Amino acid sequence: MSEPRRLLAGLAPALVVLGATLAGLPLDNYPKYVIAIAIVSIVVGASLVVLVGLARCITLAAGSVMAIGAYTSSLLAIHLGVPYLIGLAAALLTGAIAGWLIALPGTRFRGHNLAMVTLVFQSVCIILIREAKTLTGGAEGIHVPAPSLFGWTVRSDGDFLLLIGVLSALAVLVLTVLVRGAFGKNLQAAAGNEVAAEAFGISVPAYLTAAFVISSVGVAFAGALAAPRVRILDPESYGVMASIFMLAYPIVGGMHSIWGGLLGGGGLRVLPEFLRPVADYQELFFASLVIVVVMFFPGGFVELIRRGVLALRGHPAGPREAPQPAVAGAQAAAAVTPLPAPDGAAPLLVVEGVDRHFGALHAVNAAHLTVPVGGIHGLIGPNGAGKTSLFNIVSGFLAADAGRVAFDGTSLLELAPRDRIRLGITRTFQHVAVFGQLSCLDNVIIGRGRNGVLAAIGQSVDEMRSGPLTARARGEALAALDAVGLADLAGMPAGALSLGNQRRLEIARAIVSDPRLILLDEPVSGVAEAEIEELRALLLRINAERRIAMLVVEHNIPFVARLCRSLSVMGAGAIVAEGTPADVIAMPAVRQLYFGEDVAA
Amino acid sequence: MAELALVLIAGAKFGAIYALAALGLVVVHKATKTVNFAHGAFAMLGAFSSYLVVVHWQWPYWMAYVLTPPLIGVVAALIEFLILRPLRRADMFTVVIATVFLGIALSEAFRLTYNTELLAVPGMFVGMPFVFHGVFMTQETLWVIAGALVICVACVLLFRYGRLGRGMRAMASNVRGAQLCGYSVDRVYMFAWFLGGAMAGLAGVFVAPVSGVSVELSIAIISAGFVAGVIGGFDSLKGAILGGLLLGVSESLAAAYVSSALKNCISFLLLFVVLMWRPEGLFPETVARRV
Repeated sequence: MSEPRRLLAGLAPALVVLGATLAGLPLDNYPKYVIAIAIVSIVVGASLVVLVGLARCITLAAGSVMAIGAYTSSLLAIHLGVPYLIGLAAALLTGAIAGWLIALPGTRFRGHNLAMVTLVFQSVCIILIREAKTLTGGAEGIHVPAPSLFGWTVRSDGDFLLLIGVLSALAVLVLTVLVRGAFGKNLQAAAGNEVAAEAFGISVPAYLTAAFVISSVGVAFAGALAAPRVRILDPESYGVMASIFMLAYPIVGGMHSIWGGLLGGGGLRVLPEFLRPVADYQELFFASLVIVVVMFFPGGFVELIRRGVLALRGHPAGPREAPQPAVAGAQAAAAVTPLPAPDGAAPLLVVEGVDRHFGALHAVNAAHLTVPVGGIHGLIGPNGAGKTSLFNIVSGFLAADAGRVAFDGTSLLELAPRDRIRLGITRTFQHVAVFGQLSCLDNVIIGRGRNGVLAAIGQSVDEMRSGPLTARARGEALAALDAVGLADLAGMPAGALSLGNQRRLEIARAIVSDPRLILLDEPVSGVAEAEIEELRALLLRINAERRIAMLVVEHNIPFVARLCRSLSVMGAGAIVAEGTPADVIAMPAVRQLYFGEDVAA
Repeated sequence: MAELALVLIAGAKFGAIYALAALGLVVVHKATKTVNFAHGAFAMLGAFSSYLVVVHWQWPYWMAYVLTPPLIGVVAALIEFLILRPLRRADMFTVVIATVFLGIALSEAFRLTYNTELLAVPGMFVGMPFVFHGVFMTQETLWVIAGALVICVACVLLFRYGRLGRGMRAMASNVRGAQLCGYSVDRVYMFAWFLGGAMAGLAGVFVAPVSGVSVELSIAIISAGFVAGVIGGFDSLKGAILGGLLLGVSESLAAAYVSSALKNCISFLLLFVVLMWRPEGLFPETVARRV
């Protein structure tokens, strides 16, 4: 996408909100009112896209968060005479606190338990508002004074529409930047595959907390915006039912794009105004609509519209992988054979005396191995020998009971998986773990490893204005994709690739950060025979050109023997043999382990 | 002491109903790994069916107990067939969303057919209460406590020793393995929903004289049932019964000795404490494996 087009796409949602505001100004009072409340719901919908759509967290607390925003700004105005804009800012703050509070238990649970925990928050908030009568007016409600800013008192429907429209457009702009940018993509990655996300520096708890906070800030802001227009605040209008219907906004609209929030929030809020004659049936209609959407159109209306547009343009099936993907250079490199082991190369990864017990099972017993700088070392052994346990200890997903794992002199055992990438260690997964929703390019960009929450927010802003960070990230990622022969498929969703190409994508993601060591977990398991040789050539070329060392766990012995310069063989938790592939495979102890051949024979 | 006994009896009455509600929820979860958020709506429909039988048609009261469970069970099985079966490959997120909105749809369908706030249902027994040292217990209360608990225990036995119970447990631990052993996923899932719906319906019949029939009933029952299930570990039937009783008695004690506002919060407090500190529940079925 060209730079002006990307900027326009980023601005479009906010421009739509502004456009609706301007279009509404010349109309009668009633349409002005309807447009204003629809815009407030758009902010709610867009905020919930972050939490419900991207992070896939179910929240039944949106109503109470909206109440928190509404009561914060209004009570400050009523009791302390705080000016409107400062009240709004305070609502942002209490919204953030509410989101953080929900996130405390919220990041620990998924599915039904999360739904229930958020329902607890919702119910307790409403009970507190109802009981604190002297402060909040209790169940009868409290009158909100007309806001005024810079001497302008907002009274008429037109004034309200203007105020709500302009401030909402700002909020939508901020949310658009986050949803479309690196933050939104990383959040989707964290929700889609936690293990892979952690391996590339995405802290899942930090991202989920950020999602709760950002979406709560947005919802609280919407509550505070709407409060003076509602005139009387009462706890019941922010009850469980309100929460459930707000949850419907992103689901019906579409979960993966900011437009889903706009369409769901605006649409579902405006629809009842047209359904007045059958107003009694609207809840039943909404609930049924949500069920139909999750059953038949999981992408919501945005996806439906996108497919309709594609069908009109004559691409009925959407993006598909080309049948013969270009594998540039792989054939040319097929003849590459392992370089001779560099003599006296310094050790890069050193594993010494690593122990791990599972109950009575001694899974890893004083294991040791060394990967030299720029070397390719294989770890083989029969099922149950402890290879995976040892591999997981090195990659940080399993703790060791004893021993030492050092990378270039730095001990790895105390580090979380996500901290390894900074040292220059990346990995691939036995069961491919690409982020299926995201494009190949975005998958590889995540592989660069600069994925702290704040960094991602900064990156999102940079993306919006096509800044230097984005250009660099895309350039590096495209180079890595080119190196594995996937440059032509950069825009394709990773989930649509063949298994072989997903393995290539994982390799691209692993090399883009210019690591010094890649941990390859069964890199050819499930790959067709014909592609195995291509993958081997690819790995050898990467090793030769980029001087990246590799530790390979693999069952396919011919593949390992032709890829690696040295092997370690595990049996019953211990290293039973090591040396060059030819030597190791000829060893009696190894033959006995694999074939049960009698050593004496 | 007499006052405390009264409070405990009132707590046990609600506790027995909660236990029945939680049991249905746990049976469905055990077999299908799905938490049915429409469970409360099933209970509300059960209470409504009791209203129709007893008040509307003036049939004998026992018929409410006989007709309601199969009726609501069939409704539940039908919903499993129409909505949950197509979603079987979807993730937990989607299924939870679907059942939440399903519950809303059912409650709303009820509200639209009977456009009233609250339908009152009389009790089954109206005779003199039993009195013992200043502690009295109505016949209705005794019936609710004893009847609901006997049904709970019967369900536990069915699940443990019946063929379908075994199938459901097999499904829960390994779907593929159970299929290979000749259990049909479709049949077992449908039967689990039938059983869950029947228990929700029964809970509705028991609760109808106590709280009447209203849309709020469905939220009250799903919250209480869920909390009771979590206290019990969500996969333990015995745990669900004990959790229900514990919840009922705690609410009753909080209302009597602290404040009625706390009564509303106590279940949330219990839920929160158990989820944060003992997510496997207070009465787990199996000891969590440490891997």
